[in-house]
Amino acid sequence: MNRYKALLLVVLGLSVVACSDLEEEPIGEVVPETFFTDVASVQVALNGVYARAHHRFFLARETSIPIMLRSDMIDIGNQNTRAERIAHNNFTDVATNDNTSVAWKAMYDIIAAANLAIQGAGIATGSEEQLNRLSGEAHFFRAMTYFHLVRQFGSVIYIDEPITDADAISNAIPFTPEELYAEIIEDLEFAKSVLPVPEDEDNKSVPSKVAASAYLASVYLTIGDYANALSEAQEIIDREGEYGLGLEPDFQNLFHYERVKSSNEPIFVLDFIGIAPIDATNWYTDYLAPLTGIEGNFTPKQGGWTVMVPSFDVYDTWDGRDYRRAVSFDTTAFSQAGDTVDYTQFSMLDPLNSNRPHIAKYQRFPGDPEKIGNESRASELDYLLMRYAEVLLIGAEAAVEEGRADLALQYINRVRARARNGAVDGDNIKYPPSAFPADLAAVTVEDVLEERRLELAFEGKRWYDIIRRDLGQTVFSAAGLEGEKPGFIYPDDYLIPIPANEVARNPNLGN
Amino acid sequence: MNYFLQSIRRRIKNVKALLVAFICLVSVHAHAQGTVSGRITDSRGEGLPGVTVQVQGTTTGAITDVEGNFSLSVSSEAVLEISYIGFESQTIPVNGQTTINVTLLEDIEELSEVVVIGYGSVKKSDITGSVSSVKSKDLQAFPLLNAAQALQGRAAGVVVQSENGGEPGAAIDIKIRGSTSLIASSSPLIVVDGFIGATMPQQNDIASIEILKDASAAAIYGSRGSNGVIMVTTKKGVPGKITVEVNSTISSSETTNKLDLLNADQYNSLQTITNPAFVQGPADTDWQDLLFTTGSIHNHQFSVAGGSDKLNFYTSVNYFNQDGVIINSGFERYSFLANIDAQASDKLKIGVNLFTRRSIQDGVPTQSTGDTANGGGDDVIGLMFRFRPDLGIFNEDGSYTVQNVGGNVDNPYAVAIERINEVKADRSRANLYLDYEIIKGLSFRSTLGIRTRNENTRSYIPSILTETDGGLGGTAEINNRQSNHLLSENYLTYTRKIGKGNLTFVAGHSYQKDVIERFSSGGTGLIQDNLAFFDLSAVAVPFVPSSSYSETEILSQYGRVNFDWDDKYLITATIRRDGSSRFSEDEKYALFPSAAIGWRVSNEPFLRDIQVISNLKLRASYGVTGNTAIPALSSFQQFETVSGLGNGGVVTGVVPEQAANANLRWESSFQTNIGLDLGLFDNRVTMELNYYNIDTKDVLSPDFNLPLYLGFDEPFAIANLGEINNQGFEIALGTTNIYSKDVQWTTDFNWSMNRTEVVSLVDGIDIFLDASPGYFTRERTHVISEGEVLGAFWGHSYVGVYTGGALPEGVAMKENGEIGDPMFLEVADEEGNFDGIIDDNDQMIIGDPTPDFVFGINNTVSYKNFDLNVFVQAVQGGDIFNLTRVQLMNGDANAHTDILNAWTLQNPESNIPRVGNNSAIELSDRFIEDGSYIRLKNVAIGYTLPSDLVKKIGMTSARVSFSAQNLLTITGYSGLDPEVNYFGGGGETNNPANPRNSNTTNGFDYGNYPTIRTYTFSVNLKF
Repeated sequence: MNRYKALLLVVLGLSVVACSDLEEEPIGEVVPETFFTDVASVQVALNGVYARAHHRFFLARETSIPIMLRSDMIDIGNQNTRAERIAHNNFTDVATNDNTSVAWKAMYDIIAAANLAIQGAGIATGSEEQLNRLSGEAHFFRAMTYFHLVRQFGSVIYIDEPITDADAISNAIPFTPEELYAEIIEDLEFAKSVLPVPEDEDNKSVPSKVAASAYLASVYLTIGDYANALSEAQEIIDREGEYGLGLEPDFQNLFHYERVKSSNEPIFVLDFIGIAPIDATNWYTDYLAPLTGIEGNFTPKQGGWTVMVPSFDVYDTWDGRDYRRAVSFDTTAFSQAGDTVDYTQFSMLDPLNSNRPHIAKYQRFPGDPEKIGNESRASELDYLLMRYAEVLLIGAEAAVEEGRADLALQYINRVRARARNGAVDGDNIKYPPSAFPADLAAVTVEDVLEERRLELAFEGKRWYDIIRRDLGQTVFSAAGLEGEKPGFIYPDDYLIPIPANEVARNPNLGN
Repeated sequence: MNYFLQSIRRRIKNVKALLVAFICLVSVHAHAQGTVSGRITDSRGEGLPGVTVQVQGTTTGAITDVEGNFSLSVSSEAVLEISYIGFESQTIPVNGQTTINVTLLEDIEELSEVVVIGYGSVKKSDITGSVSSVKSKDLQAFPLLNAAQALQGRAAGVVVQSENGGEPGAAIDIKIRGSTSLIASSSPLIVVDGFIGATMPQQNDIASIEILKDASAAAIYGSRGSNGVIMVTTKKGVPGKITVEVNSTISSSETTNKLDLLNADQYNSLQTITNPAFVQGPADTDWQDLLFTTGSIHNHQFSVAGGSDKLNFYTSVNYFNQDGVIINSGFERYSFLANIDAQASDKLKIGVNLFTRRSIQDGVPTQSTGDTANGGGDDVIGLMFRFRPDLGIFNEDGSYTVQNVGGNVDNPYAVAIERINEVKADRSRANLYLDYEIIKGLSFRSTLGIRTRNENTRSYIPSILTETDGGLGGTAEINNRQSNHLLSENYLTYTRKIGKGNLTFVAGHSYQKDVIERFSSGGTGLIQDNLAFFDLSAVAVPFVPSSSYSETEILSQYGRVNFDWDDKYLITATIRRDGSSRFSEDEKYALFPSAAIGWRVSNEPFLRDIQVISNLKLRASYGVTGNTAIPALSSFQQFETVSGLGNGGVVTGVVPEQAANANLRWESSFQTNIGLDLGLFDNRVTMELNYYNIDTKDVLSPDFNLPLYLGFDEPFAIANLGEINNQGFEIALGTTNIYSKDVQWTTDFNWSMNRTEVVSLVDGIDIFLDASPGYFTRERTHVISEGEVLGAFWGHSYVGVYTGGALPEGVAMKENGEIGDPMFLEVADEEGNFDGIIDDNDQMIIGDPTPDFVFGINNTVSYKNFDLNVFVQAVQGGDIFNLTRVQLMNGDANAHTDILNAWTLQNPESNIPRVGNNSAIELSDRFIEDGSYIRLKNVAIGYTLPSDLVKKIGMTSARVSFSAQNLLTITGYSGLDPEVNYFGGGGETNNPANPRNSNTTNGFDYGNYPTIRTYTFSVNLKF
């Protein structure tokens, strides 16, 4: 019988692995306690910021949709598209608009990632210069994102460090626009002070001293501090050689996935790299190409979803001699059989299409035709968030305000002169040099705004111009490009309603 | 090694010695005055093996052999007691007879039946909680993919649903008494032969299933018992001759239904309305005819069982093979089971259960999640409805046709044939136990088991599917999931008689550990399609591989006291203390107590003389069970690793994942059950009534009160928030209508209703969810809202077609409305004003997927060697949101023939808006339908061959049967079938780990694999 007792003990022994303290060991997960040690670890946090900025919920899709559709330059094409998009276009959007909510979160996700990287740069040990540079990049992204937030929503919650007490921050008091702009300027000044001037081989999606400086100019212009806007722009323009800047001779090259890489004009970009690079979920693909493309257009791939299409007047009122119109619009498409179809017949390709010219900046040269996938969704485009032409136009506008007509004319005419070049690289599209737009002899603020509207068309700038220059009542009147917009309520609709759930969670919010 | 062998030999000698001693003991007791022999049979004349024949008042007895024969030496005055589980016992005086043949009748009372409960078993009459039993013969009524399906309609309060209709290999979901949770699973715990969290065995291997429904019954499983417990006991060997059993079924299956869709000419005339330039294609294809086919099921089981006094074994091998009713879909499974029990000494019993199986599911995409680029454009069933009938399978150049109206999609035939979706799963379980009687009445049991599951999911989208592939040159993916589960249990059981009372006491300790590891990889752009996922190094662009590790532990102590006094008063008290690693430092442990009382009124003197009432018992229980079903590390502050774009390439970085939650604790269900058991006319009529109320508090839920501006990747960390209430009523009625030697007819009826209500949410904030396919591009289809059911349908309320004139107050159209467009009800703003336009602000609750009640009726009739089973199952009430019809009445692709009756100037009375109206992909109550149905689930006729005939050919028994499943369904629902389970485009439900098994997303129909009708021929042979 002893044998059975022995067996009993063995089984019991096996069973008594049953002693555990139930502590969880975080295997395969990263926790902050042990994470930030060296420069490389901070770079990993900064990579998180890059990834957030290229996420489709930011400017690749959800965040671009409202600022594009709310402007007078882009209208709805396919009336069956999501109601939340149509609402932004018509200013009937409400606080429960899901697009707004997604974009709101996407922006705060960038900020949270940047706050983590900044914290990391403070904890980690290593080269002071390298840590400063990484911190500077994170400061730039944080400022750039708050700059979007304040212009879209007005007063918002300002967070500048990682969350440790979620409950406390949940009841925080929002910062006023003035307070927010002060923080944005402080961040950009810091970035400008620690970031280097980019080398030729540097990727323009990594923030540089020049990018920080250009954004500072844009921020000063937005808040009406024209003196600082001018001096900031002037500083860049005066050092264009040192900074390696210049206007791209052929305007089309800026919207060519490959040629833009070697251009001196981009200052800060989002850089999409093509074919479903990460996983099957498409979180990091460019959606402006499909959103602006023509359904059933078979060149180089099936076009797009015909969602964001300018009203016919945008095309029609634009002088046909301006090369930039030819670059900005697609007026023809190709059927599956290879026939050329004029824009008046686009609905023949697909009944969803509206018979209007479509935006070409994201669709004409989006990437290697073999790789870009349906609707050019896997585009290799660079989104030009800041380019030298805009710095020149910021300088021109501020110079007019500061009574420096000489500088203003010099700057704006450089932009117009480039447009007159036509298609320098004739293998893009055919377009001869043109006498239009001619040099201006005198310049007003209105002239600069009109130049910005055409030069920077469909690049997400116009809506912010309408707000900062209070153009709403004019551009959304019956005489506007999109006709009368009965939904536009002045001045309330300059701000997008803060998501209702956010206001419910923190009643201090609300605009 | 030698030593080991010697030791075994010595042990065998010991056992032999014991055996000899035992036999001697028996023979000493017997006063050999004569030999009685005979045969014990059932009502069909079949010999019953294992029947106990005992001399009254002694320990002398015998057990019948495999053919029912016994032989016993007794005095001529002796009285024999003949007893066998499931049959009425008989007492027969010997009276000098030498041959006694007895026919035992099946015990219809079943009160003496032993019911398995957690860590023990009790007589059915002593149960205080709410326990349902499903009989073995009901489990084997017709061939099943999964034995859990046998519970559908058989047990009150148990709802069983396939996750995808008749899809070969579809998982089966069970819900007991409603949804008690929000994000956690509501699936019950399955315990097989004492192993917690096991895989359901094959139907023919199961001896019995008990369902523990209330807290009193389930509380012994503490934190894992809140959704009820399904106790499965597999077959064991019985002493006697070795029996060999063969069960074979062959089935033919088909779809039950087909939708009326437009043909090519009708389609052309529809398209021309919105697109005058439309050019009709060259073909006229009925895609449903092309894709639906006749399926088949082969199910073969071979088992061997037997044993001696010392060693019993049962072993079986099972092969299941199903070809689906959609081309190219199938499922294959092999499984093995072995149960071995040994009486090592008179005090020690040891045994082992071994189970292993491999399954291979070869699927076609249905119920598309819409996660892929085409968002709902890649599922075969959705496509077969909306794909153009005027196109054939191939273009003239041999390429597959594609559709470019209403979204660009591949044709469904191409998707079914060319896409590869394969799941290979291996599961195994080994459980060793040891049972030792320390002193009389006190025994110790120790079990140690492991369970592993290795699941390999592979998919390939070939470049030949130009739309699904999207020009990527093929997409291959492999996902591997491996889980290991360790379970160790040690417990003591003590039983003792105290006066008129019986005391049973159980106390034990349990340790569980789960480890789940995942790995996935894949890529796009293959050199050639036939490489599929077999050579990932050949992809042009690899996905960033991903892997994860999760480990959780539960450590528990438990105790239970059962006490009955004088067969009248019953008390059960249970307590379990669970510790879970999932929760934060100070919240790891919790207590789950419960208590129940029962009063067998029929045993009181004042009822004993009322002959009509054979049984009357009142029961009441109250207790607490818990739910820990949240991911590991939920209480930690975490970073999420992301792979995204940056610096002109792919970068891997970290972002904040979630905030720490030091207060994360269990979700607890407070359950009350009140029940009544009644038996009339010697239990020819039995009835069981139960009322229950379940308040689930500290509901584990994403904390929707956290602002998005905190910027966490997981914005709503899991916290204990909200309260859910479930209430219900259950009736189970059993009648023995005819009971004679030749004819027996029994009817079992069960009826139940359950109502789930959301009592409170965080700050009362509504939670909106989307269950529509991705390409619908709508955001809200249902809502979780205080005071409502869990997941009420959300949308616009349809009024009718606008035919001109002023719109009534509170009725409006969407933007750009004109004659022929739909009108909807408006929702007034805070000031009570209407804005005159229908938009997102005018959505409201438009339906409730909860059934009013469900019931099942099972009739079994036997006449001599024939038997007949008729089983009807029904659901009354419960809306279905018919998203298939939303698509098919949209008119942008192929459509339902009802669209031919749409409003036109010539057809002004129509209630269907004009084709091409301003309300595309309309989510309104126009598409909400009553999902009630009554289904003839099974009709079976069986014939048992006469036993003397089969004996001549060396068999013990033989039975053949012919049956039909889902022969007839009566429903007003217009879709393919009212048993629906679609979960939406983004897979956005409460249960992301398994969106198909959701508490909140119910009643949606889109691209479900249809329920199948099956004709089955079965043979059962025993040797």
